[in-house]
Amino acid sequence: MKEEPMVLRKDQLEVSLHNEKKLIKEGTIKDDNPLDLSEPFRQLCDACRKGDLKVCQERITEGVNINARDPYDYTPLILASLCGHYEVAQLLLESGALCERDTFQGERCLYNALNDRIRNLLLEYDYSKSTDPLQPLAAHVTSLLTRETPKTSDIIVAAADESLHLHKFILAARSPYFRNKLEAAPETTTWRLPANIAPEAFGTAIKYLYFGEAPRDLRSGPGTGFTESEVFAGLDKIAKHLEINTLVDSILDSGDRRLARQRRTMEVAKGRDQLEEWFRANVLEHKVTVETSKADDVKWDRDNAIFADVLLRADELPEDLKEVLGDAPEQTDGTNSGNLTNGHLDSDGVTKSILFPCHRAMLLRSEFFQTMFASSFREAHMKDHLHVINVDCSPEVLEIVLTFLYTERADFSLDVAVDVLFAADMLFIEKLKTKAAVVISTLGSGNMSQAEAARTRGTEEDDLDIYAIIRAAWLTRVQRLEEFAARFLAYRLEAHIDTPEFSELIQESASRIQGRQETDSIEMLDDIRFYLGERFRLRFDDAGIDEMMEDETPQPAGGETNGDVDKVTEGVEAIDFAKDSAAPAAVTIASEQAPQEQDLALIRTLDGEIVVDEFDKDAINYQILMEKLDRILEDLNLDA
Amino acid sequence: MAMRARQKIRAPRRGLTAGKTDDFETNWGSLSTSLKKIHTKDASDISFELLYRNAYGIVLSNRGSDLYERTKTLEKEWLDSQVKAGVTAAITSSLILAKEQVDVLDQANERRDAGERFLVAIKEAWEDHQLCMGMITDVLMYMDRVLAEHRKPPIYVAAMVLFRDHVLRSPIRADSKTTVYDVLESTVLFMIQLERSGHIIDRPLIRHCIYMLEGLYETIAEEESSKLYLTVFEPAFLEASKKFYQAEGRRLLETGDAATFCNTATERLSEEITRCTDTISLSTESKIKDILDNELIRNNITEVINLEGTGVKTMLDNDRIDVLQSVYVISARVDDKKAPLIAAVQKRIVEMGKEINASAIAASQASILGVGKKSEPNTSGEKKPAEKEKPVNQQTVAAIKWVDDILALKQKFDNIWLNAFQSDQVMQGAISSSFSEFINLSQGSADSRSSEYLSLFFDENLKKGIKGKTDSEVDALLENGITLLRYIKDKDMFEAYYKKHLSRRLLMKRSVSMDAERQMISKMKMEVGNQFTQRLEAMFKDMTISEDLSSGYKQHVRRASDPDQKKIELDINVLTSTMWPLEIMSNVKNDKVQLPCIFPKEIESVKQSFERFYLGKHNGRKLSWQSSMGTADIRATFQRSNGKTQRHELNVSTYAMIILLLFNDVPARGSLTYTEIQERTRIPDHDLIRNLQSLAVAPKTRVLKKEPMSKDVKPTDKFVFNHDFQSPFLKVRIGVVSGSANKVENQDQRKETEKKMGEERGASIEAAIVRIMKQRKKLPHSQLMTEVLTQLSARFVPDVNMIKKRIESLIDREYLERVEEDPPTYGYVA
Repeated sequence: MKEEPMVLRKDQLEVSLHNEKKLIKEGTIKDDNPLDLSEPFRQLCDACRKGDLKVCQERITEGVNINARDPYDYTPLILASLCGHYEVAQLLLESGALCERDTFQGERCLYNALNDRIRNLLLEYDYSKSTDPLQPLAAHVTSLLTRETPKTSDIIVAAADESLHLHKFILAARSPYFRNKLEAAPETTTWRLPANIAPEAFGTAIKYLYFGEAPRDLRSGPGTGFTESEVFAGLDKIAKHLEINTLVDSILDSGDRRLARQRRTMEVAKGRDQLEEWFRANVLEHKVTVETSKADDVKWDRDNAIFADVLLRADELPEDLKEVLGDAPEQTDGTNSGNLTNGHLDSDGVTKSILFPCHRAMLLRSEFFQTMFASSFREAHMKDHLHVINVDCSPEVLEIVLTFLYTERADFSLDVAVDVLFAADMLFIEKLKTKAAVVISTLGSGNMSQAEAARTRGTEEDDLDIYAIIRAAWLTRVQRLEEFAARFLAYRLEAHIDTPEFSELIQESASRIQGRQETDSIEMLDDIRFYLGERFRLRFDDAGIDEMMEDETPQPAGGETNGDVDKVTEGVEAIDFAKDSAAPAAVTIASEQAPQEQDLALIRTLDGEIVVDEFDKDAINYQILMEKLDRILEDLNLDA
Repeated sequence: MAMRARQKIRAPRRGLTAGKTDDFETNWGSLSTSLKKIHTKDASDISFELLYRNAYGIVLSNRGSDLYERTKTLEKEWLDSQVKAGVTAAITSSLILAKEQVDVLDQANERRDAGERFLVAIKEAWEDHQLCMGMITDVLMYMDRVLAEHRKPPIYVAAMVLFRDHVLRSPIRADSKTTVYDVLESTVLFMIQLERSGHIIDRPLIRHCIYMLEGLYETIAEEESSKLYLTVFEPAFLEASKKFYQAEGRRLLETGDAATFCNTATERLSEEITRCTDTISLSTESKIKDILDNELIRNNITEVINLEGTGVKTMLDNDRIDVLQSVYVISARVDDKKAPLIAAVQKRIVEMGKEINASAIAASQASILGVGKKSEPNTSGEKKPAEKEKPVNQQTVAAIKWVDDILALKQKFDNIWLNAFQSDQVMQGAISSSFSEFINLSQGSADSRSSEYLSLFFDENLKKGIKGKTDSEVDALLENGITLLRYIKDKDMFEAYYKKHLSRRLLMKRSVSMDAERQMISKMKMEVGNQFTQRLEAMFKDMTISEDLSSGYKQHVRRASDPDQKKIELDINVLTSTMWPLEIMSNVKNDKVQLPCIFPKEIESVKQSFERFYLGKHNGRKLSWQSSMGTADIRATFQRSNGKTQRHELNVSTYAMIILLLFNDVPARGSLTYTEIQERTRIPDHDLIRNLQSLAVAPKTRVLKKEPMSKDVKPTDKFVFNHDFQSPFLKVRIGVVSGSANKVENQDQRKETEKKMGEERGASIEAAIVRIMKQRKKLPHSQLMTEVLTQLSARFVPDVNMIKKRIESLIDREYLERVEEDPPTYGYVA
């Protein structure tokens, strides 16, 4: 019913829905959108309605099924697109929410999208894209079967006259049979399976172990030397032999597209879990802590119980450095530079390094490692003892990186997000980089709704050093993070506009542009202006901002004439002057460093000569902020 | 709280070295040492991670551009100091000096060795450079990634540019203008030159140098079109090749052997293709082919084809299929129309065709001369009436030989076309039109007898030729004839002859197989069309109806007459007068009415009885008896002088029967004069003479004696029944000389035929004009002409003057009228 390429008539759709429900009831197929009445899912739905990115991200990380539905048949994605939360919809889609055309929920989602931008976003992620988020991992493992360079295989498994170059750790993770055999004899380099197994069955089984898709049809019949039943018998036999009992089912299910997809999703998830289990039990369990100075002397034999073929080393940072880090971010950079050379001694005496025994086969997912192992440098040569390769990040971050490479899991907290971002950038792991950017930009509150959401949660939203974030975004070239930071600043501009850090930031942004010679404008500032507009336009939308602006024009003009204020650091005074000239009725301001909206509103309310409603307040605030931006430019001698 | 937050989100804890120039220098210091080690191939112990970390640190501290520039400088120095020296050292004086002059063998060997050494040096330098840059690029990959946003080309590309400028384009000596590349180019071209003149060279080595040129670009953007190979080397190579093949073409022409030329050209082609695959670049293949096509083939092909003594003419004459094929192949390369080849082939076909025509005419004339002074060819047939079963007439032999010759020629060219010309459509068309050309040559003049010859060919074969042949052989034979028919333009002429010949075959029952006849008709129907065979089919129909009629009449007679009466059996063919050839129908000869001949009374009664029978069936029809066409079996009793009687059954013509029956009424040993016979029978002179000749002159069938005994029959001659007639056979067939055999017409008959043909054509033309005008009502002259020509072309090629006359005539008879003068337009008068 799903293969139908054209849009179904309503009656047909009803029939197919009915059939589907029936099949689900009978248990033949799994419901794509099961009913979920749990509390975390309710919270996720609420967050999707409100556009609270942070809660969404938290719930998703917790593992709530984002494709479930609530009692009113809404899925989180439908809610987000219906309520017009672009960022939330994007997050959901990136996390694997399904929006498939020609399905009831999918069409509903598209139909309900609040605006074209969201609708286009949904269409972009239509089935072809919204594949299983585990697909990249599965594809990588499958590709190991055919990859020739660099060499990663450490065992040759043969059945009949066919032999394959395989990886012990994958076999051990996926097949209890191999796990037992290899535990007993980890140094084995060839393994022979019973000869009476059909090559076709053998190939299929191995492919299955390597996350390959089940073949559409098995090669049997004339020419192959095996009948279909023989091949199936062979499959059955090898499945029992290797103790992979779902193999035959997955092949039998491969006929029906939907069944096959569900089966595949399940299989890959299961495989990932097996791999993860093995990874945690072996790789992480066997990490070694040594003194940094001795790290390079660690000798691991090539034949080891967990089949590692390389050691990754990360050095711990002396604890007390954190205090220094508390200072201005610029200084942070300087202070830490010394760590480039290893073996840094701290007051306690010795730093520790942690060594992770790893498998090149998985590290290849990083372009850094791939290039390294394919090159002709030292690391690429196979020696009796494993190479110790230094990775320039904290052990904690390296563990996150490895977990991602082995399991596709990337659940980490905001406090290491920037470190992960840098590590992923250095190691060329784009997905992890994106993930880190997502964590930062969702958990750190962004736009108005989040700002308000944060306020309602009663937490202080200013809990991240936005300047450091921007610089990290620049260094790692993450557009999304730059935008996030600009939005973040725009929504809190009152608090930042008068700080020296801010003008320094603008200066830096401008110098980046001069280096690039791409545009004449300053990107950061443009972004901030854009989001500033968004912030206030939300309010002005219906009231007609243009008219209001016209009403206000004389006042900012007055502000500009007041040119004797030029020191940005004297932001408070600047605001004073602006206020004075802008509104004749303005009186002394509260001497707070960063006037809050409430304060401004209060002033006006107190004054009472200007029409005192929220619109006016916002309009004037907008003007003032824009003006200040201009003044900063003037002061920095920049054209924009 | 704020404190905690700062710690939470912070800048990366390491790797940032902003503002520390000394760090940069330190990092660069260790990095550059390692890079140099890479160049000296001492890299296996260097740690990738360490180098990468160094580079990463530099880039992260915003010094990426500096790193980039430093690396470039390092590469430049390396290339200048080490690589270039190695390459230039391999350049010896022989490579530079011999740049202009080649071909002295000793020098060539020396230069070749030096060249190979030089190429090896270049190749190694290039491969080392690539390898090292690959490693360096790996190490600097983070830099490349970051700088890509600054629109800088990857360091690898930059290094390739450096190689191009600092190695290839550097002068070989400080004071020289010649660059390394110049030497490379001239050396490679020299090697190719050597290979072209038959030496063996190190192809893979050159291939590697070419790879290098393909891997280097003029521009940083590395567009496909800016490869050095395409911008510099290929033009030079093509230019050199052009010169080479111009010279090659001249040389081959001087040797003057077309076959050699073709073979060489073919070999050169495959050589160049191999060269492109193995030695230089595949992308050049089409271009070098163009050069070959232009310089070697197109410029020379016409001359080659027309070479005296070895050209296409000779090849055709000697059936040199293989050479012809290569001529065809190389012609087809340069010219879709293959004009020179077609011209040569056509010329030869027409020449050979003309020879066949001429020999046919010569043969027929020779026969006339050989027989004697008789001017009329058909009299020559009379000379040997007894020589049965052989085509008696030399001209008929000539006609058949003509057809056979043409078929042989056709067979020859079909074979050539199939095997040498690869069944090319254009060639087929050209060959066909040439055949058509000479077959129809001087159509209308007295020389052209193709229609008649062809019809005679069919006649001969249907009468005798197909005896004992299998169906498929017969089919092939007829098919051949049909092929020739295709070439004949005046199909109506052929039809006329065929009809005439067919009618004889039918009436004289000379046809071997009616199946073959029918087959022939259906073949012609397919080839020329329904209309063409309509009348021929009607003739067959008449024959079948006549059979029924004869048997019907026999039954009628059996019922009606008393059985005692001496029976005369009658087989009759009733012919529809319009369907059969005119001449055998007409009673009018030489413009005077020929009275019907007088039948003996026995015969007369049978005749009348049949007339009654027939007219009773079909009222209103008129039967006119063609006594000249009939035959009769009569039983003659010869009284020998010794008293014995000898009976013979004589098969004679109707006229001969009439004559012999006269002698029934003549007393024994009595005689009749020619005049008497004529008066009593009213047989036309012409036929009478011929019949008397066959009865009295022909040696084996002398049933009558003639006095005086001579060959000619004169009105004063006397004839006596010859009781001493001897024959070994009981049945004697007395041939009615020339009446029964189809043979080539003499001049008079021919004129007769043409005249008739002219009338018929006139009628056809008029019919066509009226058909067209009736439909169009109004039509300008020129258009009318075109339409008439197209309508009639299937049957014959109308003479334009004739059409004009017909139009005039139609206007006179008020079928048409002139409507306008400019342009002249006719209208149809209803």
